[in-house]
Amino acid sequence: MPKGICLVSSVATAIATGAIGQEVTATYSLYGTPGLLEMPTAQTAPENALAATFSYTEGLGQVTLTFQVNQRLSASFRYANVELFNDPPESGTEREVERGFDLQYRFNNETTYVPAIAVGLRDFLTPGRFQSEYVVASKSFGDNLIVTTGIGWGAMGTRDGFANPLGGDFEVRPAPDLPGGQLGSDQWFRGDAAMFGGVEYQINDRWGVKAEYSTIDYTETAFGVVRETESPVNYGLTYRPRPGVQLGLSYLYGTQLGVSGSFELNPNARATGSGLDKSPPPVKVRPADSLAAESWDRTALPDRALRRALAGLLEIENITLTGLELTNTTARVRYINSSFRSEAQAAGRTARMMTQVMPPSIDAFILEPERRGIPISAITISRRDIEQLENRAGGTAAMLDRSGFGDAGGSQGLDAVASDESAFSWGLGPYFRINPFSNDGSVDVDLGLSLRGVYRIRPNLVLSGAIEQSVVPPEDDPTGVERTPDIQNVRSDGSLYGNDGVPVLANLTLNHFSRPGTNLYGRVSVGYLERMFGGVSGELLWKPVESSFGLGIEVNQVAQRDTDMGLGFDEYDYDVTTGHVSAYYDLGNGYHTQLDVGRYLAGDWGATISVDREFDNGWVIGAYVTQTDMSYEDFGSGSYNKGVQVTIPQDFFTGTPTRGSYGNTFRTRVGDGGARLQVDGRLYDVVREGHLPDLSDTWGRFWR
Amino acid sequence: MTLSKWFMAVGAVLIGLSACGPLNEGSTASQLGGLVMGRVTGAEAQPVSGSSVPQDQILSNPGKYIRVNIRDLNRWDTSVQAGSNANRATWVDSANISVTFENGIVVATRGLVRDLMAADVSQSWAAIRSGGGEAQRVHEFLTNMDGISTELLQCRIASQGREVVERLQIKQNTTRFEEKCGNENLQFANVYWVNDAGTIIRSLQAISPDAGYLQIDIF
Repeated sequence: MPKGICLVSSVATAIATGAIGQEVTATYSLYGTPGLLEMPTAQTAPENALAATFSYTEGLGQVTLTFQVNQRLSASFRYANVELFNDPPESGTEREVERGFDLQYRFNNETTYVPAIAVGLRDFLTPGRFQSEYVVASKSFGDNLIVTTGIGWGAMGTRDGFANPLGGDFEVRPAPDLPGGQLGSDQWFRGDAAMFGGVEYQINDRWGVKAEYSTIDYTETAFGVVRETESPVNYGLTYRPRPGVQLGLSYLYGTQLGVSGSFELNPNARATGSGLDKSPPPVKVRPADSLAAESWDRTALPDRALRRALAGLLEIENITLTGLELTNTTARVRYINSSFRSEAQAAGRTARMMTQVMPPSIDAFILEPERRGIPISAITISRRDIEQLENRAGGTAAMLDRSGFGDAGGSQGLDAVASDESAFSWGLGPYFRINPFSNDGSVDVDLGLSLRGVYRIRPNLVLSGAIEQSVVPPEDDPTGVERTPDIQNVRSDGSLYGNDGVPVLANLTLNHFSRPGTNLYGRVSVGYLERMFGGVSGELLWKPVESSFGLGIEVNQVAQRDTDMGLGFDEYDYDVTTGHVSAYYDLGNGYHTQLDVGRYLAGDWGATISVDREFDNGWVIGAYVTQTDMSYEDFGSGSYNKGVQVTIPQDFFTGTPTRGSYGNTFRTRVGDGGARLQVDGRLYDVVREGHLPDLSDTWGRFWR
Repeated sequence: MTLSKWFMAVGAVLIGLSACGPLNEGSTASQLGGLVMGRVTGAEAQPVSGSSVPQDQILSNPGKYIRVNIRDLNRWDTSVQAGSNANRATWVDSANISVTFENGIVVATRGLVRDLMAADVSQSWAAIRSGGGEAQRVHEFLTNMDGISTELLQCRIASQGREVVERLQIKQNTTRFEEKCGNENLQFANVYWVNDAGTIIRSLQAISPDAGYLQIDIF
């Protein structure tokens, strides 16, 4: 009797992961990167792993997000709440919230005789309180012991340092003279260097110990990290109670304890496999003797009856039929997918439902997914293909090859299906918001209840709004200092908004979406568009269905709202015309980029570029940077807007069909420069899922 | 941020349990609520076991019912035919899990944690009909990245002699076949009990590494 289905090799995990994994036993350091305690190693996390690490030692709390971009490259973003010496240090200490970025690249895989070697930059933007550069080598001995040694510069070269072996201009590390938030590249790998090292021993699958010689000195210097140190040797204990979770206890500097916890997710490892979606209905195959039919008896089977029957069937899938056009040989359906993350899956489910009821003479299905009241594409499928390819090896790829993709048709000939649902809907739920203070770097949370309402005047004309009641209101900016007096406080006054403890109007918007022409999409939004601004926003997008490229333009005329978040615009008496020209390009291989060029809320001109790593199962991990003509002095600390965004689809965790997602953007600082209007329903995100590049990404779900 | 604020943030999740209204259906809050309640009550962990169709009804309607035991879930149920396409028939159970067969050999499943999306098993059936031999299979799985992973498997089918199968107190003489399949990624062994009419009446068939084996009784 068979005992089980064996995975013969690690390659078998390709079924589960879609990628070949790397056997890794790396643990995370207090800095949230693979490493010892303070010092890095040349190890890497599993490819595409996203790890959040929380660590605390006296005077330093850190939250780090590390993404293993590929097998060699990792990138980290860090919030650190750190106690620093003042300038001059004799004048005391002060707590600061610091943001930082790290990069590490591993040159090679470890072999029997050659260690893995990596180069890295820690906290590489100015002012970089932990700024270090290093080259590190790690070699394993057996399955459990890993030895690491490396050379560090910057903070890692401050204890027991020696003259820089690179010589020449590298011997002196210049003092930082750039405003905060910029690349301090003229300091990298300069100044004294020092050798660090350590060992890590994995006792068993759960417990491990590590020790290191740290070359970070904590002397009493201006803006130096406050630390009481008696020893450069640090010790650590790690415990991994389950895959993806690491808890750590450390004894540092001979003076204090530290604790840490790392929590790792990997888009390649979906706990619910390929999902727990319930079975779709099987294809209903037409009898052979009916295939020659050229029409059907519309008296016996009127269009109205077919509409009603199909609407009922699609409702089972949580798909709403909004229109149907029938000819003797074709059926064109327009529908709203409220259930499936993948529009390809929704198309597959819709097509199978159509086979249940459509007369035999209908040989072609034209599927038009609809969003915001407008059709976003047309997928033309041969009914014979559906019948012949169901459950057939190669059927998924063949279905994609044989289907047609193009712009959706017009409304002519389409019989609208009246919705049974009320035009008005509402919802009451919690909201949770992170409020960045202006420029002092601290953050605060705003927690409360949100009452939302939506009234659909027409499918593409919707009035929506939200009233929020803060339960734990944000605190005022404790500094009370206006750091950019010459610049309108378009974002830096964010903490003043809605902190009176009374209900506020978060937004109240009338949105209209349209199809002004082939491959063209339009949006007009009027009202209180976001918490801080109201006015008019118009957008036009050109995006062919089969293309990886899109181009859009947006123009907004907005005024700054009063801080009580009522109906007024009097408090600031500030209005501005903003807008952008945007280019979107799907680079392929899971990378997507967007470039926005235009004018921002404070009247500054510039551009934002974002690069996202988009996984086919809905994960998005990306970064963006905005540079405008606003001077660094006016922008304040941070110099320009930049941040990291993470989106994880809900079905990754639940396994059941849902279009929801969890997401957040982690910004360095929120300044008034490079600030863009936050408007709901930007067109590219509305339409792209119905277009061929996105459909192809998840086409494996067509038959799911 | 103060420590109390962090606790407030955790409280946000709890508030999520009270989310209501049509706009919140399927929201993060309601999904979390369902998950939490599932964990508390254990509702989602309970295996469904048993058949809603009485034994007499199964026996008196040959060809109308099959029983599928999802061994990894410790769950079995009675399925009825929901559709047919050429020489393939799809059966679905009360939990909306479907299995599609070609001559009694599984070619697809839907509703399992890692479905067999499609398969070509024609050579396996030919080998069984011939009393044993070599066969090549193609299996397709849905990956975590929503793509299709194809496995080409080499199989050897051999008769293991006669065996009496008893189901619902009815005994039948069968020939037992074992099919061992593998490639560089996967290895599994299926077992078939074929009656004297040449029909697979019972089988144990591998679906995927995550979904495990199905035991199928065809009545």
